[in-house]
Amino acid sequence: MTLDPLNAVLIGVILLLAVGFYGLLITRNLIKIVLVLQILVKAVVIALVLAGKASGQPGLGQSIAATVIVADTIVAVVALALAVQVRIRFGTLDLSKISSLRG
Amino acid sequence: MNLTIFPWMIAVPLGASPLVYLAGRLFRPSWVRGLALFALLLSWIPFVLIFTGQGMQLSFNVETIGLQADGISLLLAAVTLALGTVVVLFSGPYMAGEVGEEKYYAMLLAMIGFMIGLGCAKDLFNFWMWFEAMAVSSYLLVAFYREVPASLEAGVKYLVQSAVGSVFVLLGIALVLGNTGSLDMDEIRSATGTLPQSGLALAGAFFVIGFGVKVALVPLHTWLPDAHSQAPSGISAMLSGVVIEAGLIAMLRALSTLGILSVSWGMLFLGFGTLNMLFGNLMALQQTQVKRMLAYSSLSHIGYMLLGIGFALSDGQQAGAQGAAFHLFNHMLMKGLAFLAAGAFMFALFHQNQVQRSLEVKDLAGAARKYPLAALTFSIALLALGGLPPLAGFMSKWQIFVAGFQSGNGWLMGLVIFAALNSVLSLAYYAPVVNMMYRQKMGDAIEQGKSIPLAMNISLVLLALSIVVIGLWPSLMNWLTEPAGQAILSAFGQ
Repeated sequence: MTLDPLNAVLIGVILLLAVGFYGLLITRNLIKIVLVLQILVKAVVIALVLAGKASGQPGLGQSIAATVIVADTIVAVVALALAVQVRIRFGTLDLSKISSLRG
Repeated sequence: MNLTIFPWMIAVPLGASPLVYLAGRLFRPSWVRGLALFALLLSWIPFVLIFTGQGMQLSFNVETIGLQADGISLLLAAVTLALGTVVVLFSGPYMAGEVGEEKYYAMLLAMIGFMIGLGCAKDLFNFWMWFEAMAVSSYLLVAFYREVPASLEAGVKYLVQSAVGSVFVLLGIALVLGNTGSLDMDEIRSATGTLPQSGLALAGAFFVIGFGVKVALVPLHTWLPDAHSQAPSGISAMLSGVVIEAGLIAMLRALSTLGILSVSWGMLFLGFGTLNMLFGNLMALQQTQVKRMLAYSSLSHIGYMLLGIGFALSDGQQAGAQGAAFHLFNHMLMKGLAFLAAGAFMFALFHQNQVQRSLEVKDLAGAARKYPLAALTFSIALLALGGLPPLAGFMSKWQIFVAGFQSGNGWLMGLVIFAALNSVLSLAYYAPVVNMMYRQKMGDAIEQGKSIPLAMNISLVLLALSIVVIGLWPSLMNWLTEPAGQAILSAFGQ
C-alpha cells in the first residue's frame, strides 16, 4: 500500500496534536507547558498549509501559516514573561505548587 | 456622499494606544488618563455618524482583507465603547500612581480597538487575528498586579486555557479552508450547501470548544472566576461586561458560516445555556468574596444570552435573538456597574489604607451610612442583575422569556420556567449583599474607609442612571438590538 503524501502529512498533524494534548495533561512545569503549547501550534501550522494545498489554494494556506507563527510567538513571549514573574514571586515553576485560588 | 467612516472606530483607539504609552513615558504620567479618555471620546464620533449620517458605506476593503459593519458589529462597538469610556473615567483615581499606569491605559485602549475590529472582520482568518490580539492584551491586564501572587496565578491559568482554545479555533479554520477553499465568510456560507456535513460538523465542534473557553461555557469556565476576581476592578468590569460577550459574538459569527446546520446549533446553545445558568448560580451562592461572586454570576448571565439565541435558532423567534442582544447590552451596564462599585469600595476601604486583600461580603456591613451613593448604585446593579422590575435586567430577561413562550413548544416553555426559577435563585446571593449594606451595623472596614473620589462617583451614577432609564423605557434600545437580532438570524440563514 502506498501512502498519499497529503495523507502522510495529515497523520503527522494528528500525531503532533496527540503529543501536545498528552503533554498538556501530564506537564506541571510552566516552561514545559509553553513548549507543549508550541507543539500544538506547530501542528496547527502544518494543518493550515495542508488545508491550503488540499483545497487548491496553497498560497493562502502558506501565508496564513506564516501569520500564525508570528501571532503565536507573541503569545509565547507573554507566557514566558509571566513564567519569569512566577519564578521570582513563588520561587518555583511548578503549577501544582502555586495554586491558591479555589472554588 | 459615500463616506467610509466606521473603520475609524477601530483605528482611533488602536492608534492612540502607543501614543498614550509614549506620553506616559516621556512626559508626566498623569497626562495619560486625559489622553486615553480623549481618544475614546473621539472614537464615539464615527459611531454616532453611522446612525445619524446619510449614505454611510458599511464595508471597507484593503486588497482582499475586508471589514464590514452590520447589526452585530455595531452592537459590539456600542457595548465596548460605552463601558470602555466609563472604565477609563473610573480608572483615573483607581490606578493613579500605580507602577506601569501608562501600560494599563495603552493595553486597555488596544483591547477596545481589537474588540471592535473583531465584530467587523469579514474573513475567518482575520477574525482569528483580532480575537488573538484581544486575548493577548487581556492576559497582560489580568496579570497587571504582577507582584501579587494570586493575580499572577490567575493570569497564567487564563493564558494557558485561552491558548489551547485558540489552537482549537485554528484547527476549525484549517478544516473549513480544506473543505471549501475559501475563508471569506459569505463565500463559505454559499459553499457549505453542497459539501459533506461531517467535516463541517467537526469544524463547528472545534469552534464551540475554542471560543467556548472565552465565553466560559461550563465546563470550560475554570479560568473565569480567578481572572475576573484578581484583575484590577476596571478590567474586571471590561472582562465580564465586554470580553466574554465578544467571545460569544465571535462564536456566533464563526458558527453562522456553517449555517446549514443551524437547528442543531440552537439545541446546543439551549443545552449550554441551561448548564451555565444552573452552575453559575450554584457556585455564586457559595462565595464570600464579592468579586468572585460577581464572576460566577457572569456565567449564569451568559446562560440567559445563550438561551435567547437558542430560542431564535431552534424556533425562528426573532424576539429571542433581539432579547439576547438586549441582555448583552444590559449585562454590560449591570455587571460593569457592579464590578466598578465593588472596585470603588476596595479603593476606599483598602487601597487608600495600603491594605492589599480582596473584598468580602461582610466587609460591606453598614456601607450605606458612610457611602450612600456607592451603596445605592451597587444595590441597583445587584437588583437589576437579579431581574427585579422595573430595572433593565428584568426587561431583557422578559423579552427572552416571551420568545420562549411564543414558540408554543412544551420543551422550550419548560426551559423558560427553569430560567425564571434560576432568576429567583440568583436573588438568594444578590439580596444578602444589599441587606448587608443597608441593615447591618457599621463594620471596622467601613469605619476606617476613606472617601470615594468624584470621578468614580460620576462613572457609577452614569451607569446606574442608564440601568433605570432603560428599565423604564426598554424600547429606547431598539435602534441597537433590532438590527443585531436580525443580523444574528440572517447570518444563520433564517
